[in-house]
Amino acid sequence: MFKLNLKIALRNLWKNRTITAINVGGLAVALSAFILVMMYATYETSFDKENPNYDNIYVVGITYPEFKTYYTAAPFAKAIKQNFPEVESAGLVKEGSFELTIKNGKNTLFTNKILAADYNAAKILNINPNGGLIKPAGDVERLTYLSNESMKTLFPNKKDNKPEMVGFGASNSGITGIIAGSIKNNLHSNFTFDGVSIANELGKNDNYDMNDYTICVQVKPETQVVNLEQKITNLYQAELLKSKAGKRIDEVKGISTFLDPLSNLHLKPKAGNDAPYKTLIALSVLGVLILVIASINFTNLSIAQATKRAKEVGVKKVLGAYRFQLTTQFLVEIFMQCFAATILALILAELVLPNFNNLFQTHLSIWHINNGLYWQLPLILGVITLIAGIYPAMILSGFKPAVVLKGNFSTSKQSYWLRNGLLVFQFSVAVVFIIGLFIINSQLKYMSKEDLGFTANQVVYIKNISIFNDPIKFEPVREKILKIPGIKSATVATFIPGGINGINNYTANGIKANIDFVDVDFDYFETLEIKLKEGRLFSNEFKTDTINSAVINESAVAKYGIKNPIGQTIRGCNIDYKIIGVIKDFKTQGFETAIQPTIYTIKDPCGGYKTQIMLKIEESKMTEALANLKSQWSTINKLDGEDFRYQFLDELYGKLFKKQEQLQSIFFAAAILTIFIAILGLFAFAKYITNGRMKEIAVRKILGASDIQILKLLNTSFFAIVVIANLISWPLAYILTKKWLETFAYRIEMPILPFALSALITICLTVITVSIQAQKAVKSNPVDALKYE
Amino acid sequence: MIELKNIEKYYANKGVKSYILRHVTTSIKQGEFVSIMGPSGAGKSTLLNILGMLEEPTYGEYHFMGEDVTAMKERQRIELYRNHIGFVFQAYHLIDEMTVAENIEAPLLYKKIPGAERKSRIADVLDRFNMVAKKDLFPNQLSGGQQQLVGIARALVAQPSIILADEPTGNLQSAQAEQIMDLFKKLNQEENITILQVTHSEKNAQYGNRILTIEDGVIKEDVSVNG
Ligand SMILES: Nc1ncnc2c1ncn2[C@@H]1O[C@H](COP(=O)(O)OP(=O)(O)OP(=O)(O)O)[C@@H](O)[C@H]1O
Ligand SMILES: [Mg+2]
Repeated sequence: MFKLNLKIALRNLWKNRTITAINVGGLAVALSAFILVMMYATYETSFDKENPNYDNIYVVGITYPEFKTYYTAAPFAKAIKQNFPEVESAGLVKEGSFELTIKNGKNTLFTNKILAADYNAAKILNINPNGGLIKPAGDVERLTYLSNESMKTLFPNKKDNKPEMVGFGASNSGITGIIAGSIKNNLHSNFTFDGVSIANELGKNDNYDMNDYTICVQVKPETQVVNLEQKITNLYQAELLKSKAGKRIDEVKGISTFLDPLSNLHLKPKAGNDAPYKTLIALSVLGVLILVIASINFTNLSIAQATKRAKEVGVKKVLGAYRFQLTTQFLVEIFMQCFAATILALILAELVLPNFNNLFQTHLSIWHINNGLYWQLPLILGVITLIAGIYPAMILSGFKPAVVLKGNFSTSKQSYWLRNGLLVFQFSVAVVFIIGLFIINSQLKYMSKEDLGFTANQVVYIKNISIFNDPIKFEPVREKILKIPGIKSATVATFIPGGINGINNYTANGIKANIDFVDVDFDYFETLEIKLKEGRLFSNEFKTDTINSAVINESAVAKYGIKNPIGQTIRGCNIDYKIIGVIKDFKTQGFETAIQPTIYTIKDPCGGYKTQIMLKIEESKMTEALANLKSQWSTINKLDGEDFRYQFLDELYGKLFKKQEQLQSIFFAAAILTIFIAILGLFAFAKYITNGRMKEIAVRKILGASDIQILKLLNTSFFAIVVIANLISWPLAYILTKKWLETFAYRIEMPILPFALSALITICLTVITVSIQAQKAVKSNPVDALKYE
Repeated sequence: MIELKNIEKYYANKGVKSYILRHVTTSIKQGEFVSIMGPSGAGKSTLLNILGMLEEPTYGEYHFMGEDVTAMKERQRIELYRNHIGFVFQAYHLIDEMTVAENIEAPLLYKKIPGAERKSRIADVLDRFNMVAKKDLFPNQLSGGQQQLVGIARALVAQPSIILADEPTGNLQSAQAEQIMDLFKKLNQEENITILQVTHSEKNAQYGNRILTIEDGVIKEDVSVNG
């Protein structure tokens, strides 16, 4: 019987082959999108999952009144281990923020990220060098391993895993060290690196003032984490009071700790950005919606064919078929189509995967056993078969033979609401996506057009590790740089715009607050073309500028509520700074975060290292100037002159937009896909409906209806459906896009045009689609249609 | 074989009951060939549907081969369809996507008859109905009379004890109608299959051995004929 049913199903599908192709094609497209989303979700949610203690590892974070951070003091790790028996092990890690140059003869390696870990942390985090993790001997020994790739750069011909001698910094620096071996840099981990340096113990002489390390703990299974969290907070407060950090008790009370599970670290770290998580959720919702919309096409077509299939159900029942046999038959029919769609979808997914990987900077592969597809796909296949087949399987198979065999039976009345409801749903989703796409586009356009308050164009940022905290040290460097034709200004600072600034405590106007600080050199504002609001900028002519002058931004003025800021005092790092100028706010952090109150000083003993050199170069002389810089760099910057490396600041700043561009691409794809699939479904549906009304149209034409009247007749119900879909979607889209816009500190007003446009687009597409079908009916000779009947 | 006692059928519409069948009491024995006649709208089809268990009576008792039909479960009813009842429709109701042979095979599949026997039975009926040459054609490639022959072949192949036919010749020309009626008569006489047909034609009714006349839902006449 199965064979016969299969044969009939195939004949049926072949007879309606255009419609079948449209359905299967639409589903395949939707499924391929879904497959990509699933692979992405599996990848994103399984960072570090290979770690055998995955579920028991936590990172200790600190909650300050203003912010959360994973940076804590080294001695706290020991304290935790000693005080709480449920903590199996506690270790310290630190990401090297320095760019390091490592040399082996002529081979040079620039590392960005050398991960420092103590032995405990290495064990907890499953950091295993090739050949196994070795405990360093004594207190001073550091075992440094380079990632396989880094090792290859330095020692291209190395085959063994023996230690190697390398030089650090410039080749004349005389600093050498030993690389103990190589290690696999697992990109699917929260802890990635160019190399790791493992010590027996880290931060041995640190105190509670120095928040330089991240503590990770491994707890015993069954530990009550909330409970432990509270105990660790109490311990931390006690340790702070005991230490010489000099914190007052009320200050300490405002500080607490939290335990962030390893599984949260990648997607939604408590101290950090949960944007990846939101992106993942948004993607998943999009994937599911697209799939549902494609499945609806099946249901709608089943409904359209119901009258005919109902007769089959009636006949088979009186021949002795059980209901479940009919249910199975319909499900098998749908399953075959879904199966074909799945195969097609895999091919499609494989084709677009390179673009997807590029967009999300992933390395996903369909043919990788770890991606979970081998169980997800069959599951999805089952689920969509059920969704798409629920109507024919449940409703059709339940028809009573006495009713359906009566001759003039029609199912159109019974399924009227369901069918139109489903169409409305499809179009509502499509409308939301279209509106979303338009609004995302507008916001992105605004972001690219809006004045940032500084100019990153033609600013070159030179990578450098020599420290220029004292302006006198930088002065000769600047002089030499400025001799090169085309270079307009040169400066050095602790941070570059677009990166993350430091935070320190400053007091002004009687208010104490943590604000951003950037330590700069002369010409900083000039190089970046930041505009002055009042007062003056740093200048060589004022001796005090290198001692206790400060420039603050508008936000800082607002934060402290200073009335006439020029000449007033702002205190930090035991220095009374005199405010000499106020600059206009400029957007260094993109458009999402509000501009932070920031102080700019030349002298700041509590600040960071001024290593970030920035130059403003005339566009027309750029190539020339860069070539000159490269050739002269060793004489200009004697301490770190061997390797001239630079980046354009606007490219760096552009990275802030990467995420938004991702979102735009996703929405673009989603909007196009849903519209495409919904229109495909509509096309097939309209075809079927018009075919079914051929006789009616013929009769009307004989009665004298004009072509236009018939086109109108066929379009009316679809037109109404699209209008209703728009009405439903508008408030929904409004709420969703408003929510999204609210994630930006600087954003566009909610525009009205996208709403009107989405209506226009969907209505036009619908009328065109339906009219193409209706055209055939209108053109046909009424006699043919009637004779056929 | 069939016992009807006081069968009533009405549709309640806005509180008003409109009776289709009233006080129908009769019995039909194995091997009878009964024709149901009456004006349009009298309730003939309704009665046949009740006999075929496609509709339920609102009231009354119905015993089929000694079993109470009203108390039957869906499964038992389907078993009866499989083993005892064959339907023939005025509109043939062949399945369009199946060939002649496949249409005839369908009931055997539901009866779980093994492949070899299925083949021989199909070959048998096709032979008997002179349709061997047509076995791979689809219904829309056949004339109305041929389609109805296939419909009857389909009903017969499962070897039912009773055939219910609602105006089996209603769509056919008289020559074709005669052929079908001859066939019914032959089946009834040679294989002792009980036949119940609804017909408007006095001539067709004469093929059987009993005529039930229904008017306004009531049995007006019940006469025997010697066809
Ligand atoms: N679902 C229903 N609801 C209300 N009345 C119905 C329903 N089905 C049938 N009827 C009525 O029952 C009556 C009998 O119908 P039936 O089909 O049995 O007539 P018939 O004798 O077979 O007529 P014909 O010779 O025209 O086929 C008709 O008057 C019809 O209007
Ligand atoms: Mg009738």
